[in-house]
Amino acid sequence: MFKKTSLAAGVAAFATILFAGGCAFAEADKSGQVDYTAMTPHELAEYLIFEANDGGGFNLAQEMQEGGTARDRMQQDELQKACSIIGDGKPDEETMAAIRTAAQESIVYPEGGIQLGNWERGRELAWSGFGYRVGHNYDDHNVREVGGTCYNCHQFATDRTGGNVGPVLTGYGKMRGTSEPILKYVYDMIYNPHVYFPCTHMPRFGSSGFLDKESIADIMAYMFDPESPVNE
Amino acid sequence: MFRKALLALPVALALGATAHAEKAPEEVLQGLIDSIDSRYLTQSEMNIMMMPDNPALWVGIDGEELFHAARGPNNVSMEACDFGKGPGVLEGAYVEMPRYFEDTGKVMDLETRIMHCMTEVQGFAADDPAVTQRHGSGSDHMKLQTYIAMQSNAMEWNNPLDHPLEKAMRDAGEVLFARRAGMSDFNCYACHGQSGKQVRASVLPDANVPEDWTKAISWPAFRVGHDNVRSSQHRVRGCYYQMRQPGMLAGSDASIALISYWTDMARGQPAILPDMKR
Repeated sequence: MFKKTSLAAGVAAFATILFAGGCAFAEADKSGQVDYTAMTPHELAEYLIFEANDGGGFNLAQEMQEGGTARDRMQQDELQKACSIIGDGKPDEETMAAIRTAAQESIVYPEGGIQLGNWERGRELAWSGFGYRVGHNYDDHNVREVGGTCYNCHQFATDRTGGNVGPVLTGYGKMRGTSEPILKYVYDMIYNPHVYFPCTHMPRFGSSGFLDKESIADIMAYMFDPESPVNE
Repeated sequence: MFRKALLALPVALALGATAHAEKAPEEVLQGLIDSIDSRYLTQSEMNIMMMPDNPALWVGIDGEELFHAARGPNNVSMEACDFGKGPGVLEGAYVEMPRYFEDTGKVMDLETRIMHCMTEVQGFAADDPAVTQRHGSGSDHMKLQTYIAMQSNAMEWNNPLDHPLEKAMRDAGEVLFARRAGMSDFNCYACHGQSGKQVRASVLPDANVPEDWTKAISWPAFRVGHDNVRSSQHRVRGCYYQMRQPGMLAGSDASIALISYWTDMARGQPAILPDMKR
């Protein structure tokens, strides 16, 4: 009964969305053009992505590395919707709390606890910007493994130049040690940083499936292993 | 010298106080550098030094010839084409694009307007390489875009928002700028929401700082790393690529909405045309 009721409610809600959308999109002027000025900016943005120009403003039919098509990848999940704020501000406290909770629930820990992997592989993964790019120059994951793109935003060992969008991580393990809480913190930050920083710009490398567990362990080794150049 | 100044005077008067037609692109950039402390504007001394010999200037000269040549099945030049200020009027046309065009009923950016003129005025088939080849210094597109844009050098960005469609596209562009999606959850703020930040070795322009942003959107520019002159549409494509979002279709209304918004963000700042970038 509960299932039936909620399903009915869901269908009703969906119909409302369809109706509201249909209203805005169906209003065509004399030339048969859809009237963009009748839509809200958000409605128009969605229309331009998914409908305009005979099938959308993007190459939506392209197949994605993770499965599905570009159309699927352009759909926003709850977090992406909540964190898409004009002016780059933060949502209200309640939403932030809900984001934190959902982030915590998304994190899957390795069986037997968080272990450090191979720092040498981690060094290359932290440097690599390869993976999940599509469009005109598709990243073929069969040719090269997916990297972590970490150096785009962070400085690690100073033998290579990193970005400064995120904090400097030089000497990370040397300064903080390898206690269970700090390993958990870094694992969480890589897996889903919204647990600590709701609407951060850092990607959810674990929750999104961008990096697998082995790659996360190797990148963490690069940060924590005493032999790693990060901790020289 | 005196004569040249006399000739220039009426032009300067006609263009008003905002235009500095005699200013070279590197002088426009220097003016911005002098006005604000910006890591982005000053990041490449080499490029600043090379700007007087910017290879894009030669692409623009090729574009001038191409613009005035009778071409296509209709054997007419681009002079018959209206870029918003009347047929053949290029002075200041580009800094007021994207704009609404009565003849198409659409908001168009420079690239889509050139395509429109190639097909509708000059009579090229839609699949003619002149129309479809959008990238590279050797393409008709980049030659024409560079030449047309150069006629707006040093002028202030001022895309009109008077028409309801211009406003709707700009506002949708603002939503797109903030819209997170894809494998990295990125939106445009991920790279362009803070000052002085860099991705790897490249200092990023901050969309909130108009002096940064005018250089950021000053396309066509010679991309040193690509060894080619690149367009606004090429930049948009590259951004979505790095964001791990799907390939934006060149000339799509989505791309024009985004370009309308980013031009609005640079409003009032002088354009550097052509520019030189890393």
